[in-house]
Amino acid sequence: MIGLDVVVQALLSGLFMGSVYALIAIGFTLVFGVTDIVNFAHGHLVMAAMFVTYFLFKTAHLDPYLSLVVVLPLFFGVGALLYVLVIQRIVEAPHSAHMMVTLGLLLVFENLANLFFGGDLRGITTKYTTSSFVMGPVAVPLARLGAAVVSLLAVAVLGVFLARTTLGKAIRASANNREGAALVGVNVPRVYLVSFSLGTMAAALAGAVIVPFSLVSPFVGHEFILKAFVIAVLGGLGSVPGALAGGLLIGFVEALSSLYISASLGNAIVFAILIAVLLYRPWGIFGQAKV
Amino acid sequence: MSALLAVRGVSKRFGGLQALSNVTFGVDHREIVGIIGPNGAGKTTLFNVITGVYAPDLGRVELRGMDVTGWAPHRICRLGAARTFQIGKPFAALSVLQTVRIGALNRIDSMAGATARALEVLELVGLAGKRDDLGRHLTVIERKRLELARALATGPALLLLDEVAAGLRPNEIQEMIALVRRIAAGGVSVLIIEHVLEAVMRLSARRGVPGRGLHACLKSRASRWRTATCACSTT
Amino acid sequence: MKGRLAVGVVALGVAAAVPLVAGQHLLTAFIVALHAAYMALAWNVAAGYAGQFSLGHSLFYGIGAYASTMLYLKLGLTPWVGMFAGAALAGVVGVLLALGVYRYNVRGIFFALVTLGAAEVAKGLADNWHWIKGPVGILLTMKAAPAEFFFLRREPYYYVALAMVVAMVAISLVLERSRLGQHFLAVREDEAAAEASGVDTHRAKTVAIGLSAALTAFAGSFYAQFYLYVSPETVLTFEPQLTMMLGTMVGGAGTALGPVLGSVLFSGLGEALRNLPFENTRQVVIGSKLVYAILLIVILIYLPGGLITLGRRRA
Ligand SMILES: Nc1ncnc2c1ncn2[C@@H]1O[C@H](COP(=O)(O)OP(=O)(O)OP(=O)(O)O)[C@@H](O)[C@H]1O
Ligand SMILES: [Mg+2]
Repeated sequence: MIGLDVVVQALLSGLFMGSVYALIAIGFTLVFGVTDIVNFAHGHLVMAAMFVTYFLFKTAHLDPYLSLVVVLPLFFGVGALLYVLVIQRIVEAPHSAHMMVTLGLLLVFENLANLFFGGDLRGITTKYTTSSFVMGPVAVPLARLGAAVVSLLAVAVLGVFLARTTLGKAIRASANNREGAALVGVNVPRVYLVSFSLGTMAAALAGAVIVPFSLVSPFVGHEFILKAFVIAVLGGLGSVPGALAGGLLIGFVEALSSLYISASLGNAIVFAILIAVLLYRPWGIFGQAKV
Repeated sequence: MSALLAVRGVSKRFGGLQALSNVTFGVDHREIVGIIGPNGAGKTTLFNVITGVYAPDLGRVELRGMDVTGWAPHRICRLGAARTFQIGKPFAALSVLQTVRIGALNRIDSMAGATARALEVLELVGLAGKRDDLGRHLTVIERKRLELARALATGPALLLLDEVAAGLRPNEIQEMIALVRRIAAGGVSVLIIEHVLEAVMRLSARRGVPGRGLHACLKSRASRWRTATCACSTT
Repeated sequence: MKGRLAVGVVALGVAAAVPLVAGQHLLTAFIVALHAAYMALAWNVAAGYAGQFSLGHSLFYGIGAYASTMLYLKLGLTPWVGMFAGAALAGVVGVLLALGVYRYNVRGIFFALVTLGAAEVAKGLADNWHWIKGPVGILLTMKAAPAEFFFLRREPYYYVALAMVVAMVAISLVLERSRLGQHFLAVREDEAAAEASGVDTHRAKTVAIGLSAALTAFAGSFYAQFYLYVSPETVLTFEPQLTMMLGTMVGGAGTALGPVLGSVLFSGLGEALRNLPFENTRQVVIGSKLVYAILLIVILIYLPGGLITLGRRRA
């Protein structure tokens, strides 16, 4: 029998990781919602940001949270560059081309990382990597708490940006109806570029804040992209609030299934959920059916 | 005697929008029937219901004496009703000949036979010179002809044409009218949606048979346009 | 037509003569290339011709590998026969999957994700299935038993792989010239227009997935006999799927020779590089993968029909 404190502890770590997953998935789903492109390389952008953060710590002793000052603008630029060089040339192409080209990007990132850094798992130890404080029956790990708080903050900021600013409204308008947005004077190509860059930045932010307690290798991106798929589908592809809910849900499912069922089946369960959702509610469990 | 096509009391609603309400009419063998009506009147929706794209909320569709309500589109095509799409749906990456041959394979099992039939149809609609062009490279007019060719190649008893003359220049409209006549003369009944009133009128006036007036065959949502006037003729 | 036939015969003659001149390392590279070409062609049936962009074909590959291997180990059935059983099983699974997916009208990107999910679920189950040795996998022992699809030398494997590719090209060509194949193309281009042309799109898609799944399973059985090792980590991951897609999309989806061209270029050259005596083989192999990935992107942007369209444009 598993004690209640263990369950609460698991739920807590589910909440923390779920918040990070939510941020990753929101970047993914934002790009899909606006540009209609499924970015298979999204998880590898998380990986790339992890490597950058790792090396900033190793070489310049820059704390991962401080390094955000470098990482965020850098990856906004990476996103813009990717968009201009690659993505904008395939926006009009069929979905199969989207998938293949972004898979190509995934392979580029993976092999670049593997070529320069090798395939080993690497991690850093910050002052707070192993710190935690006790709250009632559970120990709250500081590093994970920090990652979750920053991720949720970023989600909130993104939400306000989309809801309140002119550019944010333009992004939402383009996501709903490309032609309509163009008709009312939205600069659609620019909106696409900004959305893709924002999505990239969201992945990078998530990557940076998990470095204090996660190991990085060229291959960690796969796990993130699979999670992002599942979460985005659960929330309804393209829906930002849905992705937040989906991220938290997957965080809990993952934490509990590793507790009650073998970890290797955890992924299978998550995907079984994905399939069921795609069959019965392709608009997501939190989304609304479109008539 | 049962008609070729009988639409009985068909209604179709999209959310809060009543696209068709209680539509009843028929098409006999060797007949050309025209449907006219303003934008959004439900003309294309009527085609979609007849050809099985949508099941009606109420009512029945009978084709060659069989109740085909709720059938899949390909079964209705096999039974003998072929339609064109108002906004052409060419097979973008396939050639004109390939596209029409796929239609011809509806009745003919062998590739050689279907190819021969497709070439005949292309000759008839005046696309023979474009047989090797890809669907995505066709002009609007060529697309309309391709729609017609594909539908015709399936060997229909009833051909449903959705605004095949829209956007054509006057002389092209004349050509299209002549073409529809030639097809009808071959024993195919035609149900034609047309905005270009002249096209419908000329098709019907030819035999001088006064329109039977398909009263209330279509109703607009605001019932502003309650009784649709449908020009009809018996060839 | 006659000219093409002549070219085909000459190419086949050259291919048949390869083992006479190639060493064992180079021969391995050729086998890997042919194997990849076969897989690509099998996936191409569903994805290239019928437009059903499955990301879960590793599932069918895995079924083929495990089925022939388990039948051999448990029942002593020769893999020559077992591979057909695997194909039948994969075909049934493919048809069932298709029936489920199409019943709920799952299309496009959603279809890709569902199939990807199906393969992931299968991997999770295989990892936890003790009868097939879970994540440890199954080792076959190397021996000389031609009747049981075991050879000590590379040459027989090479000829089997070559025969599979030739058969698969022939199947593709026959398909292209058949009513079924035309129906596949119609479904790929536009389902509504296909239905309006009298094509049973449901049936065509289900047949496409079933056929493609069964054909893919043969590749899985070949893999097991060639590498003598089957595990979830080798046959049920995204790796086989990637091999199929790279070759097909680079060479030209929906054609009978494009996938062969693409696979030979990608998998064959990669394997050849791996076996050349470079000082730093690791870097060379990873570097070549990097170059391939960039090539893939460039080709898809500038030659969306694949390399095969280069030749056609000139002709
Ligand atoms: N699938 C659908 N979902 C929701 N509404 C629909 C759908 N199809 C048609 N409608 C609506 O039903 C009404 C009738 O449309 P329909 O296309 O049948 O009109 P129409 O008479 O063919 O018009 P037009 O002359 O412009 O072609 C329109 O208001 C249209 O927006
Ligand atoms: Mg219409």
